[in-house]
Amino acid sequence: MPNMIACFKWVVDEAYVRSGASGDLDLSSVDYKISDYDKNALEEAVAVRERSGGVVTAVTVGVPEAGKGVKDALSRGPDKAFFIRDPAFRDLEPSQTAAIMAEVIRDRIPFDLILCGEGSSDLYARQVGPRLAEILGIPCLTGVQKISIEGTRLVAERRTEEGVDVAETVLPALVTVLPDINTPRIPGVRDTLMASKKETTVIGMDDLPSLPGDTMKTLSMKTASLKRQGVRFTAERDDVAAFVDALVRKGVLE
Amino acid sequence: MAGIWIFGETRERTLELLTAGTSLAEASGQTVSVILRGDESLVKEYLSRGADEIMILPEIAGDQPLEGYVPVIAGEAARLSPDLVLFPATTRGREMAARIASCLNTGLCSDCTAVSWNPESEAFECERLAYGGAAVQKIAFTAQPAMATIPPRTYGPAPAKETGEGALRHLPEPPPSPVRIVERKKRERSARDIRDARIIVAAGRGFVKQEDLEIARSLAEALGGEIACTRPLSEEYHWLPDELCIGLSGISVKPQLYIGLGISGQIQHITGIRDAGLIAAVNKDENAPIFQMADLGIVGDLYRVVPELIAEIRKARGE
Repeated sequence: MPNMIACFKWVVDEAYVRSGASGDLDLSSVDYKISDYDKNALEEAVAVRERSGGVVTAVTVGVPEAGKGVKDALSRGPDKAFFIRDPAFRDLEPSQTAAIMAEVIRDRIPFDLILCGEGSSDLYARQVGPRLAEILGIPCLTGVQKISIEGTRLVAERRTEEGVDVAETVLPALVTVLPDINTPRIPGVRDTLMASKKETTVIGMDDLPSLPGDTMKTLSMKTASLKRQGVRFTAERDDVAAFVDALVRKGVLE
Repeated sequence: MAGIWIFGETRERTLELLTAGTSLAEASGQTVSVILRGDESLVKEYLSRGADEIMILPEIAGDQPLEGYVPVIAGEAARLSPDLVLFPATTRGREMAARIASCLNTGLCSDCTAVSWNPESEAFECERLAYGGAAVQKIAFTAQPAMATIPPRTYGPAPAKETGEGALRHLPEPPPSPVRIVERKKRERSARDIRDARIIVAAGRGFVKQEDLEIARSLAEALGGEIACTRPLSEEYHWLPDELCIGLSGISVKPQLYIGLGISGQIQHITGIRDAGLIAAVNKDENAPIFQMADLGIVGDLYRVVPELIAEIRKARGE
């Protein structure tokens, strides 16, 4: 029976990102969520367990406030969680997140398959999965839209620019999943209640060797300027005509 | 100084990266090397379009994935310390870049929309989008080599230059990959390539059923444009093929005119139309975020508005 690890990130919900003074990012009134595609990773790990048995462990690296995310993740079906937390884990680089995860997974969590989302909703760098596989020295498949496991053999459909590659490898391995691999469940009240009874192992900075250093520096993070003219029309006939007239004047109608 | 390296996945992508690479090489006083896989007839073309050196990867067996070259490229980079390594931001290019960056303990800037050389700090800097496209992040590299993936079509193809001379070097054989490709299914294009379309009519969740997309099609036809959609319509409902999905996880377009029908305006979709000339929207919800990002908007039910719109367009054209 395969043991699965589903990795997830607790992120700022981008729908709440506002533009502050001088174009700086205003994150003062944001809400947080499990990164969208990580919900697909959690769902797929649970789906594999439902077919083949095994244990699903959810793993995250984050700030202490991400504890809410651990509960959310557990309500989606994993058996237990590892919460690697420290106030210093707010703006980790992908290289650092992968290094921390590798450190914890290597010695503490038996696994056959690691599942990550294709990328996080906040930074969408799409690096933690492949970097984690490389550090652990296991096969890696990114952009996966379908998986099947027979014994220790993993077959995955991988979407590329040219089409779909059917790839196979031997477990243990890591996959990063695309959103169309499944439809994540919406946890019910009972799932949420059950989640609080599940075991969460908390790991702090003291339990880890020193962090790898920065490889990049963020010089600025500004809101993208998407401002347009914002001229509004109603659905009345005259207004629709005025709208078309505007298109003509802009020279886009030939 | 081992210069700027470009991973040449396909000809089209490589010519784009050569545009970025050669201008950065000029600014930073470096040379440009292309890591070429496969067709050696491209050697001449890459040299004539600005490459100073070509590193040729040996052919691998048909069941080996492209990522099998990761140990070879990482080994060569560890040996020669390039200053900047560029990959195309494709499925395979992204994975290879991330794994090589991990091998080299260095930083990788994903999906860079701009790469530049800062002569004062003597460092490469990159810009990329964050928070679904709501923010622009600017970074500087503090480790070597600097690495970046660049989305397709961010740069135009590099023009041919007069000189076409350069060095050739063969790279060693990679070890067998633990991943085997058992089948390669080529995508049958089920839709036209709309990335160069002049006018695009995009459909969103405001459409109740698949048949209703005829409304969007009629408008596209009246305008001489193409139809497109948001992610839910292609990925969740499968009403339209993936190739027509605009946004962060789909394609980016830059038409002269974009009209969004029944599209709320989630940032991930808007990111794909940020370079459109004119953005127009029809939505019955006056608070839909798309109106904040549109030049022209009609607040109304698309089912009622679009037929009138088509009639007015025909009238304006004297039809």
